[in-house]
Amino acid sequence: MSEQESVGLLEPDLLDEVELDLPWVVLVWNDPINLMSYVTFVLQKLFGHSKEKATELMLQVHHEGKAVVSSGTRAEAERDVFRLHEHGLWATMQQD
Amino acid sequence: MGLFDRRRNSPIHRRSDGTFTVDLDPQVRELVGSFAQQLRDLLSTDSELLVRLFPPPYGEDSERNEGYAVLAGAELMEHRLAALDVVTEHLDATELDEAQLMAWMRSINDIRLVMGTMLGLEEDHRLPDLDEQGLATLSVYEFFGALLEMIVTALSD
Repeated sequence: MSEQESVGLLEPDLLDEVELDLPWVVLVWNDPINLMSYVTFVLQKLFGHSKEKATELMLQVHHEGKAVVSSGTRAEAERDVFRLHEHGLWATMQQD
Repeated sequence: MGLFDRRRNSPIHRRSDGTFTVDLDPQVRELVGSFAQQLRDLLSTDSELLVRLFPPPYGEDSERNEGYAVLAGAELMEHRLAALDVVTEHLDATELDEAQLMAWMRSINDIRLVMGTMLGLEEDHRLPDLDEQGLATLSVYEFFGALLEMIVTALSD
């Protein structure tokens, strides 16, 4: 194995490590279909928020277009996105 | 909504034992059953009307979106069909437990998402120009909105 090839093999691993260190955030986006009361209830149910906290997040989605609702590893973010999609909320995930 | 009996406070409410009374008129149940079946039929197609039910989680990253769809798409579909099964099996029930009412809630919200997509709703508080058929769809969409609100209120109680 040449030195150049070794470097080529190491680089993706290093990139993966860097990527793994960065947290992922889950965003819920505003949409004109979901009811405000429904979004509040789903955020309470899925994340265990109080009604006040869930309402605050819902209003942030409504007024600012989106809100971060959770963060964690990629697997954790995918799990949360799945549960939000299951309940019909428009959710995406990205690295912070 | 005309299909609800206005003499009652709320046809859906939580009982002291944690279950829910569901006192809906037969016409309401018929409408829910009909649209639940239409959603089930639509889920067996690749209709663009389903876009809000299976949104891409990684924004513009099509490679990751496709990977996620392979891993999670089938499970998401299973959960949607399972909720519809609960609605169909308990369409005439006058009592539901919390998990069953949650299934009703998710399915009715799915129906609204498809109808809202069909109506071209893209902005808050702004309706697109609708023809006669569109206005009829809008009235059913609003009806399901009222029913969903009622369910959410009962579950939050």
